[in-house]
Amino acid sequence: MIRTTSFGRSLGRSVAGRLAVGATVVGLLVAACGGAASPAPSSAGQSTAAQPSAGTSAAASPSTAPTVPPGGPITIKWFCCLGGGDDPSQLKVEAQVVKDFNASHPNIKLVFDHAAYSGARDALATEIASGNGPDVVGPVGVGGSEAFHGQWLDLDPLIKKNNYDLSQYGKGAVDFYKIGNEGQLGIPFAIYPSELYYQPDMFDEAGLEYPPAKYGDQYKMPDGTMVDWNYDTARQVAMKLTVDNKGKDATEAGFDPTHIVQYGFEPQRDDVRGMGAYWGAGQLAGGSDGKTVDIPQPWQQGWKWVYDGMWKDHFIETGPVFNSQGFNGGGYTFNSGKVAMAENFLWNVCCVTDAGGNWDLGAIPANNGKVTAAFNADTFRILKSSKHPDEAFTVLTYLLGDASQKLLNSYSGFPARTADQGNFFKQLEQQKDDKGKLIYPPHVNWQVAVDGVQFADNPNFETFMPAYNQSLDVLNKYWTRWQSNGNLNLDSEIGKLKSELQGIWDKAK
Amino acid sequence: MTPIVARRSRLRIPTWPHLAPLARREARWGYIFITPWIVGFLLWTLAPMIATFVFTLTNVTLAQEQPLRFVGADNYIALLHDPQTWESLGVTIRFALLALPIGVLMPMAVALLLNSPSLRGSSLFRVLFFLPYVVPFVAGVLIWQGMLNQDSGWINQFLRFIGVSNPPDWLQDTTWIYPGLVIMGIWGIGGGIIVYLAGLRGIPTDFYDAARIDGAGTWATFRNITLPLLSPVIFYTLILGIVDVLQYFLVPLVLNQGTGEPGGTTNFLNLYIYKNFFAYQNMSYGATLAWLLFGITLMITAVIFWSSRRWVYYAGER
Repeated sequence: MIRTTSFGRSLGRSVAGRLAVGATVVGLLVAACGGAASPAPSSAGQSTAAQPSAGTSAAASPSTAPTVPPGGPITIKWFCCLGGGDDPSQLKVEAQVVKDFNASHPNIKLVFDHAAYSGARDALATEIASGNGPDVVGPVGVGGSEAFHGQWLDLDPLIKKNNYDLSQYGKGAVDFYKIGNEGQLGIPFAIYPSELYYQPDMFDEAGLEYPPAKYGDQYKMPDGTMVDWNYDTARQVAMKLTVDNKGKDATEAGFDPTHIVQYGFEPQRDDVRGMGAYWGAGQLAGGSDGKTVDIPQPWQQGWKWVYDGMWKDHFIETGPVFNSQGFNGGGYTFNSGKVAMAENFLWNVCCVTDAGGNWDLGAIPANNGKVTAAFNADTFRILKSSKHPDEAFTVLTYLLGDASQKLLNSYSGFPARTADQGNFFKQLEQQKDDKGKLIYPPHVNWQVAVDGVQFADNPNFETFMPAYNQSLDVLNKYWTRWQSNGNLNLDSEIGKLKSELQGIWDKAK
Repeated sequence: MTPIVARRSRLRIPTWPHLAPLARREARWGYIFITPWIVGFLLWTLAPMIATFVFTLTNVTLAQEQPLRFVGADNYIALLHDPQTWESLGVTIRFALLALPIGVLMPMAVALLLNSPSLRGSSLFRVLFFLPYVVPFVAGVLIWQGMLNQDSGWINQFLRFIGVSNPPDWLQDTTWIYPGLVIMGIWGIGGGIIVYLAGLRGIPTDFYDAARIDGAGTWATFRNITLPLLSPVIFYTLILGIVDVLQYFLVPLVLNQGTGEPGGTTNFLNLYIYKNFFAYQNMSYGATLAWLLFGITLMITAVIFWSSRRWVYYAGER
């Protein structure tokens, strides 16, 4: 150690040593400053203007077949799964889409790169940071996109250049992706309204009526009275459906909450904002300046309802139960077959078959007389850093066009393209597994999912907030704490959450 | 018997102008041989360190929505007012207080047992203890995730077998998460055991013979001979242990995808740094946190080095 120090001193004094250190520092500073700046977005119209774009847009088809450019096909990387798409059955479909694309587009080599949803944000950020980012990203929802705020390419010049027909979508759907001065950041692809998944057999066993099949219908209680289908009713029904290992339900004396074998209700717990949004629409940055934390009152109501449901009334799984093998159901506990009702988006249809062969869809309960069915929307986007925006746009329009039917069926995404909406559920009902058996039970009440669109939360719960990813982490920290500790004062917790978020947002100013 | 006590070094190293010609030639060759290391150090260690320091004085982000500019000490000031920084540092310290003593003492205890002349098949035990050390890290974490599963994990099955009706949820309960992580860590003590064993084998047997003749018992021998002569190894293990525990990162990342679950208890400082770099895409602030961690590590190791003069005995010192 002493010799090393002596050497260091000697080197520091020598001219060569000084030069080496100096050169390193200068080189480093140049590299640091140069590398840190975001790559200038290449103009879609200029960067690859010499190369013909393989048109797959619905409106503009190429007059000539694309040919392989002299340097070989241009590689376009498609990154999945910021907004789902990582289920093994979906990965199979995505692989087939890539194969089909490559077979029909000799000038482009499409490469599929995926990370599981849970780690996709970090994986994409790491790829971008290392200068190895993808070109096309999707399916990606509002939240996934906001996590990379400011990094999406404005598609407007490419849409105009390729005469891509936007009239095939509803104007509102197109405008959903038109963001202030950033431009048209996406083209509509799939929408996922919310609905109430339920197990009819469990209701039958408990002697209970099924949840209403239509919005606005009342619920018939066991004593015959007709009541509104709201969260108070849902709580009473859910407690009846929560059963311990001795067969007692959560309303009975002697019920053992430490040995529950069937739960009555499951909220959508992926994102605590979304969970709250079922009680009423809102956003955290709802203040006029967009930088003041404002936790919507309905969300607070919903959080308290869920917290009491876990720790007081026991009809919702606590965190440890949710994470246990027997109940987890791959992250969506309804799919374990041990939960009677669950609020979730339409994309959960992909994996709900694990819940058993008999399930159905009902109406989301109301809060204070108003129904809010939280809403997800997915699409594909192009990163500003893409070196080949024209080819990336070709891929994008292929995914939204030729491949859309396959992908939408796989993602259980309700098509944003108006013309495709009519047949969507028919096609879904006809889907069969590898053994030729129908995947979905007959007569699922798909209409209630369609009707859910009109109750979509607006503003959407995933809407932008400052320091998006960090804020999400803080929200998740509190949510996991609420799930694992039954002795908390939730009002005080919400107060702490608010002040912690505000601290982060102030720093982000 | 007289205990061995640590002595202060009075070693003097002559500077370059005072070296004899032969010594200079030797030193020159020495420099030539270590040049590849020096180049590697400059390029891959020093240069990135300087780069991160430069980052701390700027507003570099991944998206770089605002023009790149010099921000002075803004990031350091923000750090002081960031509760998440101190919270994640608190998480790291709480975990260290539990993990470090076990990480330093347990390999020593196992090495002492393996070094016992009355143990048969010590080579086999050495191999068995070292084996987990060579299992790929991520695979090891995933295996332990299964082992510590509340329902199906072997540990809880064993606890139920011996009559514990409600065994802990090691990885999801905020109370049990740190013991759970420490149990995972114990699996990798093979490297430490080997180092301690090497240290134990290096203690001259003459000392033990002399102690036996003096009538020293097991405890007196351990306290007055083994412990002082093993102190350089303990010192080495302690330093590495401190650095390791302050940089604790991969286990929580693999275990919970870095979410900090349950309830933020696994949001270690190094994980927070990683997230600032790659999840929050704030390169400047991530770099500032990295320098904070570097400073803390440097400070603690400096204190340990300073204190080592009082408790570490180097037999070869003049």
